[in-house]
Amino acid sequence: MSVMTPIFEGLWDHYILWSVIVGAIAFGWLYHHSFWFTSKDGEKVPNVDGLEVGVFPKHNDDMRLEVAWTILPFLLIVWLTYYSWEPLDAMWTSADGGVHGYECDYDDPKYTGSNNSMNSLGIIKSDCYHVIEITGQQWFWSFDCLELNESLCDTGTETMEVYGSVPVLSLKKGETYLAVMDSIDVTHAPWFQHLGTKEDTVPGMETTLWLPISDDMTEESMVLCAEYCGDAHSIMAAKLVAHN
Amino acid sequence: MSQDDHHHPSAWGPHDWNHGAPHNSWAPFILSMGVAIFLFALAGAYEWGEFQGWGSVPLIFVGLGVVGFSLLVWWRQDMSFGMNGEVFEPKSTGTPFQNIDIRKVAMWVFLMSEMMVFTSLFSTYMRYRFGIPNCQTVFESGEWVEGTAVTCFEPASHLIASSWFHIAPGAINTFALIISSFTIVQALRYAKMKDIEEDVRRRKITRYLGTTWFLAILFLTMKMIEWFLGFPLPDFLHEFNHGDSSIKSLYAEGYLINADHYQHHAYDTHYLESHGHGLDHDSELYAMMEAGTHPGGHMMADIQVSATTFYVTTGTHGAHVFGGIIGLSYMTLKAAKGGYTPDNAVSIEYFGLYWHFVDLVWVLVFPFFYLY
Amino acid sequence: MLKARSKVAIMTLVAIAAMLALPSAQSRPEGVSGVQESGCMCHGNLPSDSVVASIDGLPQSYNYSEEYEITVSFQGGPTQEGNVNQGGFHLWASEGTLSVNDATAQVFNQNEVGHTDAGNDQVSWTVTWTAPATDKNVDFVLHVNSVNGNEDGAAGGSTGDMWSKATVSLGGPIEVLEAADPFVVLGVLIIVSASLLAITLAYVFYRRDPDAFDWDNFAPWLADWMTSTDHKKIGTLYFVAGLFFLGVGGIMAMIIRIQLAVPGNDFLTQEQYNQFFTLHGTTMIFLAAMPMINGFANWMIPLQLGAADLALPRINAMSFWLQPFAALLIFTGVFSGHGADTGWTGYAPYVVSEGAHHGTTMWAAGQIMLVASSTLTGINFLTTMAVMRAPGMGWMQMPLFSWSILVANVMLFLSIPAFGVGLIQVYLDRVVGTAFYDIAAGGDPLLWSHLFWYFGHPEVYVVVVPSFGIISEVIATSSRRSVFGYRSMVYAMAGIGIVAFIVYGHHMFTSGMSPTLRFVTMLTTMLVAVPTGIKVFNWLMTMHGGSLVYRTHTLWALGFLVTFTLGGISGMFFPSIAMDTHLHESYFVVAHFHYVLVGGTVFGFFSGIYYWWPKATGKMLSEKLGVLHFLTAFVSYNALFWPMHRLGVWGMTRRHHTYFVTTEEALGSLPMEAAGWNMFITVSGFLFFFSNFIMVFNMIASSIRGEDAPDDPWGGWSFEWMTSSPPPAHTLYKLDDGSWGIPTLRDANEHIANEPGWLSTWFGKLLVSDDDTEEAAH
Repeated sequence: MSVMTPIFEGLWDHYILWSVIVGAIAFGWLYHHSFWFTSKDGEKVPNVDGLEVGVFPKHNDDMRLEVAWTILPFLLIVWLTYYSWEPLDAMWTSADGGVHGYECDYDDPKYTGSNNSMNSLGIIKSDCYHVIEITGQQWFWSFDCLELNESLCDTGTETMEVYGSVPVLSLKKGETYLAVMDSIDVTHAPWFQHLGTKEDTVPGMETTLWLPISDDMTEESMVLCAEYCGDAHSIMAAKLVAHN
Repeated sequence: MSQDDHHHPSAWGPHDWNHGAPHNSWAPFILSMGVAIFLFALAGAYEWGEFQGWGSVPLIFVGLGVVGFSLLVWWRQDMSFGMNGEVFEPKSTGTPFQNIDIRKVAMWVFLMSEMMVFTSLFSTYMRYRFGIPNCQTVFESGEWVEGTAVTCFEPASHLIASSWFHIAPGAINTFALIISSFTIVQALRYAKMKDIEEDVRRRKITRYLGTTWFLAILFLTMKMIEWFLGFPLPDFLHEFNHGDSSIKSLYAEGYLINADHYQHHAYDTHYLESHGHGLDHDSELYAMMEAGTHPGGHMMADIQVSATTFYVTTGTHGAHVFGGIIGLSYMTLKAAKGGYTPDNAVSIEYFGLYWHFVDLVWVLVFPFFYLY
Repeated sequence: MLKARSKVAIMTLVAIAAMLALPSAQSRPEGVSGVQESGCMCHGNLPSDSVVASIDGLPQSYNYSEEYEITVSFQGGPTQEGNVNQGGFHLWASEGTLSVNDATAQVFNQNEVGHTDAGNDQVSWTVTWTAPATDKNVDFVLHVNSVNGNEDGAAGGSTGDMWSKATVSLGGPIEVLEAADPFVVLGVLIIVSASLLAITLAYVFYRRDPDAFDWDNFAPWLADWMTSTDHKKIGTLYFVAGLFFLGVGGIMAMIIRIQLAVPGNDFLTQEQYNQFFTLHGTTMIFLAAMPMINGFANWMIPLQLGAADLALPRINAMSFWLQPFAALLIFTGVFSGHGADTGWTGYAPYVVSEGAHHGTTMWAAGQIMLVASSTLTGINFLTTMAVMRAPGMGWMQMPLFSWSILVANVMLFLSIPAFGVGLIQVYLDRVVGTAFYDIAAGGDPLLWSHLFWYFGHPEVYVVVVPSFGIISEVIATSSRRSVFGYRSMVYAMAGIGIVAFIVYGHHMFTSGMSPTLRFVTMLTTMLVAVPTGIKVFNWLMTMHGGSLVYRTHTLWALGFLVTFTLGGISGMFFPSIAMDTHLHESYFVVAHFHYVLVGGTVFGFFSGIYYWWPKATGKMLSEKLGVLHFLTAFVSYNALFWPMHRLGVWGMTRRHHTYFVTTEEALGSLPMEAAGWNMFITVSGFLFFFSNFIMVFNMIASSIRGEDAPDDPWGGWSFEWMTSSPPPAHTLYKLDDGSWGIPTLRDANEHIANEPGWLSTWFGKLLVSDDDTEEAAH
């Protein structure tokens, strides 16, 4: 599907697999029982549990079964938690020597850029990262490339149908960026749709968001506001351009 | 309001408690309406703390009046409860509360939710108290410029605990509430006492409830003095009060919810010098002033959040005291009419539970907001 | 008596009228007409036709926030080229921002510009207009003066002076239609529904005793309903209110769906859309679901416990009557066109910003009253269940519906004070001017999120857990089995109740909250799957070895199992934070919570309505209509919400008033199919909305000509089936010896049912019986 990050795609497929398994068990069971154990008048089987008005009926239980479907879902969630762990770790990696290394040292003669690359799980690793700044405001985004040169990061505006004039953030493929975000008035959240990630920009607080632009990132994608922020919330949009 | 047949007493009038509950009542309907009118009108009269004109003001009083009226209806129906042997006190049947009065269980359950209310207010307070730098710390760090307000947390205790006179209203209040907890128990004790003359009991209960009522009034009066009025000091005490002739109210000190340019003399290097206190020599500010990198002067502060948490938390407690006063007014009146007998002493007990809780909350509020 | 009642009626009317009148009076834009009409009357002359004013450079419709250079000019009049003073202008724009380019014009405020002294010698000026960022209808009014200002003139340099005026109007990219104001639509629909409700009530009154159909009988009848403290009457009132608001919330949902049916639709403006989704959420959760739960609980808890009434009947009446007045407050904003536009979550600091509509204050005020109502309800039910169980009924012999209400009330009761305090903070901020969420003064937006979600997450379990109880009763009764694993059902429910308090952080995965906290709540949220899994498998196992009888309530219960399981599975996607950061605030979330709140809560309610209707009214519902209702509603429901999962993954964002589709993948809007799916959803939505009227019709038909119901039509075991249908006003039960009284529960199991457990024994030691104290005092 078009709008997912590789990280998300692997997780998604795995979850879908387990959803299908769990669904098949539950619905197969339901389908079977709701046709097998039926009767017109309820008299197909004798009143095994001694149902009678005003009498608490006989217990109908089986410890082994109940323990089984306590343990099995528990094991499943342990597995799913484990499976979600590494992508999560990559998402929240430290800015000091995490999977994206340290902030790029442009004076270092060995510096060649982030050179990010993706492993089989869809997790992107980089040599170093660049810092940019994003500010939310009712109802537009401001991008600031700070000291990055134009080949790494560029901003501008563009007029789009319907959205009108929107800010454009142009980032380089193969590079990894750390967005330091803030808001001027109320809470917003940039949803980088093709990166499958978002984080609130909270007034009076600094939040951060990793933007790893991989080599196969789509050229142009939308950034929409995903935290309700008032009248023009739905057209608080921006464009992310991934250039070579 | 005639009483018609079939045990259908009026929904306005006194209940027939021999018949037990439930009875029809207009009180819930009217009370709800009154609360709605009040909340509506208040928001019409003020917006963002600014007065919006007199248009809505009469409606505020209409709302309060409707609430008051509904309470009168409610009490009129309850007045006969416990009088002339009309007692309807259902007992618990289920474990583990067997043979406990149902209303007592309900009161404890109610207090659980009250606990959560104050927990939430304290969470808010702690979040801001520990999350926003303290004004004193900011002042001493020297990270401010005269003429520009800095956002910092100024605990009310900085003002209140600054002198023995300033803390007096709060201290008196603490004792007033503790004593009132005692007097309400005394009222209950006499209400439950069986081998005592009817008339003596009536007078004793009335007196103790009345005392509790008076102490609650005293509490709110002291609060008004502390918040808005302040009080003068006799001459011979001036020297113990930095030479000032009176204790200013928090209002007069500028400790207000809209104080974005709050000024306190303790944050004035010149004031400190002229009063011989001097700056803490270990402080950054002192070092900066010595080095000539900071001119010193008067630090202005935006302390709206500090004032807000103080007034709203102590105000919520005050509102509980006020609720208690309303209840006590009714109970004192009923006691004077001989409404409390050993069969019907429990109402005082249930009120007492509430009152002890209010007392207990104050015991937490006092150190957190007045001393620390 | 009648007189006093009339007084109350008049007072109520006056109060309601006052409430309706006030906000609309405040909401008018004031002082606008005064400014533009005065124009440029600087020289006091009359308007003249010979002066022609014109505005050039404005588009037919503007783009958001784009800047336009406007040239204002005039021709004719006494002006003469070459003179020092030739004329002046004054331009007013209703929306957007006007600014000037040079020294010939000056800005008065963002809506008004005029010429300067330096601009006096011209007949044409250029100014800049920045279009608004939202859809507005913009009016421009231009006034011009034509003067003959020769330098040596006597009258201040002007010997001739005439003025004229020109107006231009334009719209945004999405035209704002004034004609079909959705608020009017909503208002009319609410009034029509309320009238229908009133007529139905009058009709019910008429049917009760056609001969007694006059005011003298109606007034006491109505007064009895308004003052009653009887749990059954209050339960019925809750139901009427709940179903009414379910309809109102549904109407709002339909209006929202009309807007979203096609991309770029202009049925609603953004402002209107924002208010509709806010009120849809608030109405459905607080004014529809909660009252319906209380309706079930009021009716069934005393009956299931074998009690005569609730512990505190008058407090119970108080809980109910707070709700309609709270609803009035919440809706006042709508009546004035300035309803709350904060979302039901009301995130700070937007909720206390001046940008949020006036109605937000009333939205908070109304909810403060609802919090009070829920607190009183909690006290009442917890007390009732603790103290009024019939002899022989220990905690572990309570019917599962009673258990579900107990768990729901414990959750609600311990969480809602936090919400109440948060709302009071918001109300005070907006009214008194406190600074709880004033960012400049150091306020913390996340504090509100914590207070809100500490309540908000238990709240969603509060509305779904009673449905668990209903489904447990229905499936067991229909299968002719006792519910499988009664004890694990109770523990699972209690487990959900406990876990509810420690998972709320999953609503804040993208909020900037500390990652450690987010990670902890990821783990706890995963845990929710365990108790819900136990419940689902227990329900399935209950059917095993039984003989399932298909009735309408059985169908709804099976339907619940399907939709709730689907909702549960989609819920498992969110705790995986790496995935949640994409899905958060998308239609995937919308699909999920509608699957659990409609497919879970509402389907459970429908099942409960069909199950207990005969008990409460003494009349049977039509099975044929019931099955028709189930089939139409179940199919249209799934068609309505299932496609939303896909839309969410594609990137359709929640709380956006419109969306765009494109064939170019590059643009990143939704693919073309999204438009078709949205139309499909809208059509299904209308089908679902109208299919529920089958049930309403069924209820009315049953009231008029339904068969009389037996005491125990479905073969249930709990106490409610032991009394007559409908139960007598002061509930008593048919005992074994043929007399009427309070029953004692027997237990078919071997062990001694009423033996208290160790916890209960320990707790019992702490308590002094109130009888004992009295004896001690002797």
